[in-house]
Parts: sequence; C-alpha cells; structure tokens
Amino acid sequence: MGEMASVDITEDEAQLYDRQIRLWGLESQKRLRKARVLVIGARGFGAEVCKNIILAGVKSVTIMDHGVVDEQDFCSQFLVPRSEIGKNRAEASLERAQELNPMVEITADKEKIDDKPDSFFGNFDVVCATECTTAQFLHLDNVCRENNIKFFCGDVYGFFGYIFLDLQIQEFMEEVTTITNTHEPTGEPLAKKRKTEKTVQNTKGTETYVPLQDALDVDWTSESYAKRLKRMDPSYFVMKALLKFCDKKGRKPSPSEREKDIESLKEFVKEELTKQKIREDFVPELLLKDVFAEISPVCAIMGGITAQEIIKTVSQKERPHNNIFFFNPLKCIGYSACFGV
Amino acid sequence: MAASIAGVFENDLQQAINSSKVFVVGAGGIGCEILKNLVMSGFNDIEIIDLDTIDVSNLNRQFLFHKQHVGKSKAEVARESALSFNPTVNIKAYHDSTMSADYGVNFFKRFAVVMNALDNRMARNHVNRMCLAADVPLIESGTAGYEGQVELIKKQLTQCYECLPKAPQKTYPGCTIRNTPSEPIHCIVWSKHLFNQLFGENDPDMDVSPDTADPDAAGDAGMAALKGEANDQGNVTRVTTREWAVKSNYDPEKLFRKLFHDDIKYLLSMGNLWKNRTPPKPLVFGEVPDAVAGCSNETDAVLKDQKIWSVAECVEIFSSSCRNLYSQQQRLDLGDNLVWDKDDKDAMDFVASCANIRAYIFGIPQKSRFDIKSMAGNIIPAIATSNAIVAGLVVLKAFYVLRGQLENCQSVYLRNKPNHKNVQIVPEACLVEPNSKCYVCSPKHEVQLCVDVQSLTVKELEEQILKKGLHMVAPDVITATGTVILSSEEGETTDNYPKTLSQMGVVNGSILKADDFLQNYELNIVIVQRCLTRDGPLFEIIGSETAKPGSPEKLQPENGQTDDDDDVVHVIDGESTSNATSSIRKRKLET
Repeated sequence: MGEMASVDITEDEAQLYDRQIRLWGLESQKRLRKARVLVIGARGFGAEVCKNIILAGVKSVTIMDHGVVDEQDFCSQFLVPRSEIGKNRAEASLERAQELNPMVEITADKEKIDDKPDSFFGNFDVVCATECTTAQFLHLDNVCRENNIKFFCGDVYGFFGYIFLDLQIQEFMEEVTTITNTHEPTGEPLAKKRKTEKTVQNTKGTETYVPLQDALDVDWTSESYAKRLKRMDPSYFVMKALLKFCDKKGRKPSPSEREKDIESLKEFVKEELTKQKIREDFVPELLLKDVFAEISPVCAIMGGITAQEIIKTVSQKERPHNNIFFFNPLKCIGYSACFGV
Repeated sequence: MAASIAGVFENDLQQAINSSKVFVVGAGGIGCEILKNLVMSGFNDIEIIDLDTIDVSNLNRQFLFHKQHVGKSKAEVARESALSFNPTVNIKAYHDSTMSADYGVNFFKRFAVVMNALDNRMARNHVNRMCLAADVPLIESGTAGYEGQVELIKKQLTQCYECLPKAPQKTYPGCTIRNTPSEPIHCIVWSKHLFNQLFGENDPDMDVSPDTADPDAAGDAGMAALKGEANDQGNVTRVTTREWAVKSNYDPEKLFRKLFHDDIKYLLSMGNLWKNRTPPKPLVFGEVPDAVAGCSNETDAVLKDQKIWSVAECVEIFSSSCRNLYSQQQRLDLGDNLVWDKDDKDAMDFVASCANIRAYIFGIPQKSRFDIKSMAGNIIPAIATSNAIVAGLVVLKAFYVLRGQLENCQSVYLRNKPNHKNVQIVPEACLVEPNSKCYVCSPKHEVQLCVDVQSLTVKELEEQILKKGLHMVAPDVITATGTVILSSEEGETTDNYPKTLSQMGVVNGSILKADDFLQNYELNIVIVQRCLTRDGPLFEIIGSETAKPGSPEKLQPENGQTDDDDDVVHVIDGESTSNATSSIRKRKLET
C-alpha cells in the first residue's frame, strides 16, 4: 500500500472521526490528513465539495474564487451568509467553512487562476476545478499532469451535473468480494439449502487515465464509438453543449434568459450531433430545460460523489471512477463512462 | 433561495416549493442535509423533529452542528443553523419523539410531503403507519457506510415500509447468553445485561446468573451449587444480582468473585452443559494473566481503543469503571437508574472489560474496546458524502411529489461500487406495487402468531410481540369474545401481565384483535400454538412475508449488521437505519 502514513491520530481526532474510521480504517484517515486540496470555483457545487472534504479531515483546503457573491449563490451556496452579497465569494465562505472542522487549515484565495504561475499548483495534492472555461480546464489538467497532481473538474447546471477525473496513474487497494454457491448434499429443496459463501479479499488495483483533451475530442463517427451510441445515455453531449455555451457566452445559462438560453443550448447540441453524424433526437429536449443556476439537491449529489472520489483517491482505497461521471436528472441516474481511451 | 429567483425552476415547481408545508423526521446526518437542501431550494414552511442531542461523533457529517453545540437538541440547533442560510424561512423544531401521542394523524395531515431521515426501524414503521393513515406521501431514506437508498411510500400506489419482511432482528437465546456463550457477541450482550442488572433498570429478561432451567442441563440442574448457595446465605431463596451488589456495596472484588468465579463454578456444576462444550475456567481476583492470549499487539499502527487489553488490564478497568458507575448511581435520585450509553466512558469501559473477562473464561477470542463499541452500540459507520447524496435524491423526489409526478418517483439506490454498467446511483425501473397481503397497508390486516400459549405472558405479548415485533406503540388487545387482555390505559390491565395467554383463555386458533389508537391501526392476530424449544425463538410472526408471485423484484437479504440487537439498544447514528444494511435491497436493477 505504498509508504505508511506516519502521522499519529490524536484522541480528539479519533473521537471526531470515529464513525468514518470504522468505515474506511485508520490508514485511510492518516492519508486524508496529509492531503492538500485546492478547490477552484466556490458556488453551490464547490461549496458542497469543500464541506465534505473538510468534514472528512483533509490537511488543508484552499478555496479559490475571484467572483463576487450574487443572488444566484443563494440557490445552493450555503457557506456564504446572505449579508455578504457583493463581496468576494472565497473570502465570504471562509468563516463557515472553518466552523465545519477546526482541525483543517482553510484559506481563501481571490485571485484568478489565469494569474497564477504553474508553480502555484505544486502546493497541492488534489485540484478540483469548477466554473472554468474549457481552455482553463485543459490548462489546469496539463499543469496537474506535469506535476503529478490528481485533477478533478466538473460543474452543476441546474439539475444536471458531471465530473471528469484525470488521476494519471492511480494505485489503490480494493475489497473484492467473491460469492460462491455451495450446495449441501442433502435431499432438501435446493432453494432452501443453497448456501452462499462470501470471501472478501484485499487486492491491489491500478487505473490509468487520459487527459481531458482526449475525453472531449471523441470521434463519434469512428467505428468503436458509433457502436457505443446505441446503448448510451446522452449526458455526454449535454455536457459538451454546456461547455460550449459557457465558452461562447462567457457565462452559464441564466434564469432571466431562460427561453433564449434553452434555444441556444439546443443549437449547440444540434451542431455537435450533426458534426458527429448522430441523429438529432439523440438528446431529449427535456434534458436541456432545467439547466439554470445550481440546484441545491443536485449540488449535494454531485458534491457528494466528487468528494467521495477525492477521498478514494487520496486514501488509495477503492477504485475511483474513470473518467467522467454524469448525473442525468431525467432518469435520476448517476454513472461513469470512459471516454477518449 | 432558488424558488425566489424567477426562471430557476419551471413555474409549477416554483409555486409548489413556495407554498408547500413539509416535514422532516430526524435531524441527523440525512436530516441536516435535507434541511439545507430545502431551505436553499426556497421552501418557506418546514417542520423538523428529533429526540436526540448532539454528540461529538456526529460532527464529522451532521454539518449543521459544531463543537459548541454538543449536548444540545439536534432539531433546535439544526433549525438555528438553517435559519442562517435564510433568516426569513419558517422552521418549527420539535425536540421530541415522533412516536409521542402529540403527533397524531391530524398532525401528519398538514403536510404536503413527509421526509424520513431516521435511524431505527421502530420509528420508521411508526411514521410509515402515520403517513398511510393520513394519506400523505412519505419519502423514506437511509444510508449505511457507502450505500444508501431513497423510496417513495404512497398509499395504494407503492409498497409501504412494511410490505416486505425485514431481516429479523438478531436475538440470542437466554441460555446461550447466561450459560454457554460461544462468540464474543454473547459476552457483550451478557455484559450489557449485567450493566442493567447492576446499575440500570431491572428487567427480568436480562438475567445474567446461571440459568438452571436450561433444557441442556436437564437432570443435574446444579443441585450441588444450589445447596452451597443456600448454606452460604442461610436461605434457599436466591437473591437478585442487584440486591446482592447493593449488600456488597458494589465492591469490585466481591462482584468479580461472584460473577467470574462463583457463578462460573456453579455453571460447571451443571455437568450436562459441558459434555460437548469446552468448560469455562473460573478466575480468581488478583491471579489473572497480564497478557493477551494468542495476540501480539502492534503499538503504533492502531488507535488506543484498538489495542486489546490483557486480562489483568480488563480486571483493573472493570474495578475502576465499577467504582465510577457506582458513584454515578449514588448521585441519582432514589429510584432512578443509569442508562447504558456507548458514549459514556465508564459504561463502555465496564461492558468492554466484562465482555473480555467473560470471553477469556469461556475460551472466546477477546476484542478491542473499539470493536466492542461497534457491536454493543450497533454502530453503523456513517459518512458525510453518502448522506449528502441520499439527501439530494430525497429532495429531488420531493420535487416530483409536489408537482404530482409520482410516476417519476421510483426508488433510487446509492451503491458502494458501480454495477457492471458503471452505474452508482441506480434508479429502479418502475414503482413497486403494494403487497396485497401486507398486514399494514392492505385492506385486510392479519398475521399468524406462532407462540406457546402455555408460557407466553401478557407482558411478553405486549413488549416482545406487539411493540417490538409488530411495531405498535400503545396497543389494546381483546379476544374474539370480547375479553380485554391488554389495555393502553395506564394500569387498567396490569393484573394480566404475569398471566399466560392460556390463562387468559387463548388457545390454538384464537383470534386476537389488536388496536393502536395513535397509529389508527387495527390488526387481527391468529394464534398458532407452538411449543417453546431451547434455542428456538419466543415467537414467530407470519404475515406479509410473501411477495406476490411474479412480482419483479427478488430480494437478497444482505449480510451485515443487523438491527437493534436483542435488548436495550441505543441506536446511534442519525442517518442510518439501524437496519440499514439489511434494508438496503440489492435488486436486479435496470438502468
């Protein structure tokens, strides 16, 4: 399992983290305690990620956001008090974030990521970015690749959400359960006498990831990807269209422009589908209707998934998703799929 | 708040959120998360109830609580914290049990939707019945570790919480606990019983002394020992453990001698018990080994609580915790008792040390305090992320309910690991219809009760069967001929308690009518006579166990932690069902 984390857990920590140590073990907790995490973008989704990893007990969290608090933050950004409207979002989140767990070092950074030198990111073990342009995501991913930093990016748009993971090479231990059926050699009816034996084994595993660029540049006309389309959920194309929307308009879809923005989004979807020679109705229009602001329950779902993936990554316990996880609100389904490999 | 900004939601949802009154049952891990989602989404009228107070071990996930809140009411602190997200929202907090008579059917009828965020089966069953009676949609949820589930319960549309039998609660036969333990859990249960015998409320079902009525010991019934005891005390009537302890001023050495030497010798005298079992070895105070049998303790890699104590250490901890508990007890008002709590240091030390001493005596592997706490306290590990995800799903389902789109309220499961299609948040393909034989939500409420009418007392009928087994709160019972066996009016049928069912005129085939006024629930109980066996259960309830043939789901009962174990159990964790693992149904799911 690599080097053992040598830091000792204090009695206070043992008490506070009791319930989770009972789940993921002491070694995982020690690894968590060494992890330095940068969260870029602190709206609702970012706030949920921060909350969960701060509660879990990482070493430090840097909340980075150059934006100011606006009314939309109050759809899901529970770290910001209502009185802080107009103030910097990262700084306004600091006090409540710290209250979640006094044992975690928390800092706010209100600079823009474009102003940060690449060396800045070397201070972190994990970077989790939201609210960025595609170009910024790609740049961050490259910097993280070069510096061996685990990279997560994603966003919540209304009821829809996704995260992408580039962990480069991730080694981990996982519990593999094998169930074997044994039949007792008696005359009893089988259904009653069937016994299942569960054996749980700790096994070492490795996952290899591709850069974000590859996951976004999928050629759906190629044979292998065209085949996948038959059984595929359309969330990937919703994500692509939303990224394009933000890149083109310099903002996320806006509740006050609801109808207009839905139309633009439909256009972006259509463009991509045409380019990829996919039939137009592949993405149901219903999926493009509820993409406004960041809805609290969806931030909770995506923030929960993302934080758990960060925890898995840092503790090197259990297999993280590879490489995009989607939440499709129409079906209420959350799944991962691998793109660009 | 999302619903106060035009365009975030579609109009109908925005209006529904603005105008609906909702109820959150439980302010633990899931409850805190639900409350946050509700407030941020723009709900204006929320009520929340929780009986519990805040413990430090809640703080790693119940994020509305901080260190300075430890000891305070969960519902009230949750309300205050949530108000800081939106000071204009109307939140009413109840620091109370949802099973109290104050929250009747009319209370529940006021809500557009009820969301359960409970930690135990008892309360879940109760809220299920209240929502069925009030015909209010209920969103039920639970987590255990990395897993979780959310389901809608709506009268006549979906399965109710009790449509399918849950994995039975694990109980241990009295003889195993008192005479022939063979696993660590037996010693732990015995120690919890001992705690109650010495410091807690006296319950005759929790006797810890050797059981001479053990059918396995038939024939020798420990006469020699009985005689010895009679001589010792000059009296043939055996005194209770409590009386004896009081007389000895709770002197640890004397207690030790009785529990771990004299009683063990007594057991040894019941020779038939040990024909096919390894006999226990009585221990002498002051002559115990200062080492852990068959175990090398690594010192740094584990928490302090994860180290296994030597028997000598156990004896020391037994002595000091005994003294501390005795003085805790002395400080109580006369007639008051201590209540076992896994988070009370002395109470936990006492149970851990006693369990390990007894385990040593019976040649059973000893456990660390950390592990004993899990088992004795029925701790289901809980983390922030699973709770957040499940609470998010609960509120999304609530949106559908409020929009009247119940067809979109299929159950959803959060899986520990993605399935073969890489799905981790897994929706059920369709709503699951009610079980037409359910004794709670079907038109005909009837169960068969297999029980020994010669030995089961009315008290046992009330406590073990009606309350624990059938989840009633304040049952009345009459026979088909109108004899009142049990009344929920205080004191009205106390005289019947010690009587057996057969003394009350109940025989094989009798039909009892049980009625719970609070739950607005009536049940016919058909008695099937079955003689009691040594290791057999006290009773068996046969009711709605069979799902209709051809129904789509195949249940695979989960292994894992069971519900409230056998006895007074403090179920801890806010979010997770005490039976979460068993109630998380693993089904073949469609994606």
